[in-house]
Amino acid sequence: MSYLKIENMEITFNSLKGNFTAVKNIAFEIKKGEIVSVIGHSGCGKSTILNAIAGMVFPSKGKVVLNGNEVTGPGPDRGIVFQNYSLLPWLTVYQNIYEAVDAVFTKKSREDKDELTEKYLKMVNLWEHRKKHPKEISGGMKQRVAIARAFAIDPEVLLLDEPFGALDALTKASLHIELLKLWNLTHRSKTIVMVTHDIEEAIFLSDRIVVMNNGPAATIREIEEVHLPRPRNKKDIVNLEEYKTIRERLLSLLVEKVEVDKSDFYKGEVAQTVIG
Amino acid sequence: MKRAIAITASFTRDLLRRNEDFSYSESFIAITRKIAHALKNASFSLLGFFILIAIWYVVSRTTSGGLPTPVATFRVFWELVKDPFYDYGPNDKGIGLQLGSSLIRVSSGFLLGSVVAIPVGLLMGANAFCRKVFHPIVQILKPVSPLAWFPIGLVAFESASKATIFIIVITSLWPTLINTAFGVASLPEDHKNVARAFGFSKWKYLTKVLLPFSLPHIITGLRLSVGVAWLVIVAGEMLSGGMGIGFFVWDSWNALSLEKVISAILIIGFVGLLLDKGFSFLEKKVTWGS
Repeated sequence: MSYLKIENMEITFNSLKGNFTAVKNIAFEIKKGEIVSVIGHSGCGKSTILNAIAGMVFPSKGKVVLNGNEVTGPGPDRGIVFQNYSLLPWLTVYQNIYEAVDAVFTKKSREDKDELTEKYLKMVNLWEHRKKHPKEISGGMKQRVAIARAFAIDPEVLLLDEPFGALDALTKASLHIELLKLWNLTHRSKTIVMVTHDIEEAIFLSDRIVVMNNGPAATIREIEEVHLPRPRNKKDIVNLEEYKTIRERLLSLLVEKVEVDKSDFYKGEVAQTVIG
Repeated sequence: MKRAIAITASFTRDLLRRNEDFSYSESFIAITRKIAHALKNASFSLLGFFILIAIWYVVSRTTSGGLPTPVATFRVFWELVKDPFYDYGPNDKGIGLQLGSSLIRVSSGFLLGSVVAIPVGLLMGANAFCRKVFHPIVQILKPVSPLAWFPIGLVAFESASKATIFIIVITSLWPTLINTAFGVASLPEDHKNVARAFGFSKWKYLTKVLLPFSLPHIITGLRLSVGVAWLVIVAGEMLSGGMGIGFFVWDSWNALSLEKVISAILIIGFVGLLLDKGFSFLEKKVTWGS
C-alpha cells in the first residue's frame, strides 16, 4: 500500500500566450518514511511536481493521493521548504517559526507553542540567533530556519524545493547531515520529497531518485533505487561500488557529454584574439 | 558559603562596572562622531542660507523698495514669533494661533483622507476587480487642482471652513491611495506562498504578511499626502478667509506688509519640513530591509 501516490499526472498552465504543458505522464509511488529525490535539468518541471504534492498547483489530468485522500490544497500534513528560504523579512528568526506553529496548532496554548518553537530552533542550533532578522543571518542559517519551520509544524511529508541550491559546498554538506539528523530524531517516520539538480546530494540523501526528461512536457525518464546502508557517511559511501554505479548511471542519464573532446579545443580564432 | 556569595557578588559587580565603562567610552566616541557629522552638514546648510540671504539683500537693495531687506523682515519676523498667541479679536491674532488653526484643519483633512485612502488602497492592491474599477477614476481625479474642488465643497457643506477641509481630503488622499495599492499589489508570490503553505488565517495573513510588507509603502504615501495637504491649506485659506496661515498671508498682502508675507513663507516652509521629517522618521522605523 503506497502512502503518497501520483497517478498519471499532467500539469498545464493556461496563459494569454497559450497553454504550456510543464509535465505529463507522471506516475510514481512513495512509501511512508522514504526519502525521494526528483532530479533533472532546470525547467524540467520538477518544482511543478513538488507544488502539485503541496497542493499549490493543480493537475490538469490525473491526481495526487496522500494517505488515501486526494490532495486538493495545501495542508498542515505537508511542510514545505522553499527554494529561496521564503522567510518573512519583518519577523525575527523566532517569530518566523512561531507564526507557522501558531497557524497550524491553533488549539495549543501559548506556552506549548513557545516550547515547540524553542525545541526546533535548538535542533538546528539557532537558539542564540532567535532575535535576529533574516537579513542579519547567512544563507545557510536562513535555510536552517526554513527547515526548522517546516519540521516544527510536525508534517507527515516534507517537501524540499532545491533547498540547498544557493549554498556553498561546505554549508550544503553540513545541512545534509542536519536534515538527516532531524529525520532520525523524528524516527524516520517523515516522508521527504526533494527536488534537486545535484547528483551527489540526491544519492547521499535518497532511497530513490526520480530522473526527469527535459521539458517542456517533461516525463519521467527513469527511477533509480539507492540501496546504500543508513546511516550514511559522506566520506565512506563514495568508495562503495553501489555509489559509483548509481553516480555513473545518473551522470549518463543527465549529462550527455561527460568529457571535453578535441572539438572543444578547436576554437582557433577565439584563442588567438584572447592571446593577441 | 556566605563568603563565597559575597565574593561572587563583588566580582559580578566589578565585571558589570567594567562593562559599563567600556560601553560608555564606546558610545561616547559614537556620539562625538555623530555630532561632528551633524555640524559638518549644518555648515553646508548655513552656507546655502547665507547665499540666499545675500542674493535677497542685493535684490532688495537694487530694486526700488519693492522687496523688503532681510534685516527689516527679520525684525518683523521677531515681532511675530515673540508673542505668537495674542488674540485681539477676529482680525488680529498671533501667528501661533493662525498656525494652530491651519494645523488642525490640515490634520483633520489629512486624517479623513487617510481613513478613506488606506482601505481603498488595500482593496485596489489586493483585488484585481477593484483595481480595474477604481483605477480610471483615480487617474482622472488625481491631477485636478485643489482650487477647482472648492466650489463643490462650498455647495456640499455650505461652509467655507468645511470646504477647506474638503479640498484637503480630496487632494491629499491620492498619494496614500496609490502607494498603498502599489505596496499591496507588489507583495511577492513567495510571501503569499508561505501564508498558503502554512495555512495562515485571514487575520494572520493581514497582520503578519500583507500589512508589514505594505506598511513602508503606506507611510511613504502618507508622507507625500501630508506634503500635499500642507501645500493646499495655504491656497484653501486664502479663498476661505477667517483664520489660518493662508489667511494670514493674504491679510498681510492686503495690509501691504511684504515683511509679514515673507515671514509667513519661512514659517510655512519650516512647518512643512518638520512634517516631512516626522514621516520620514516613521518610514525608517517601519522599513524592514530584505
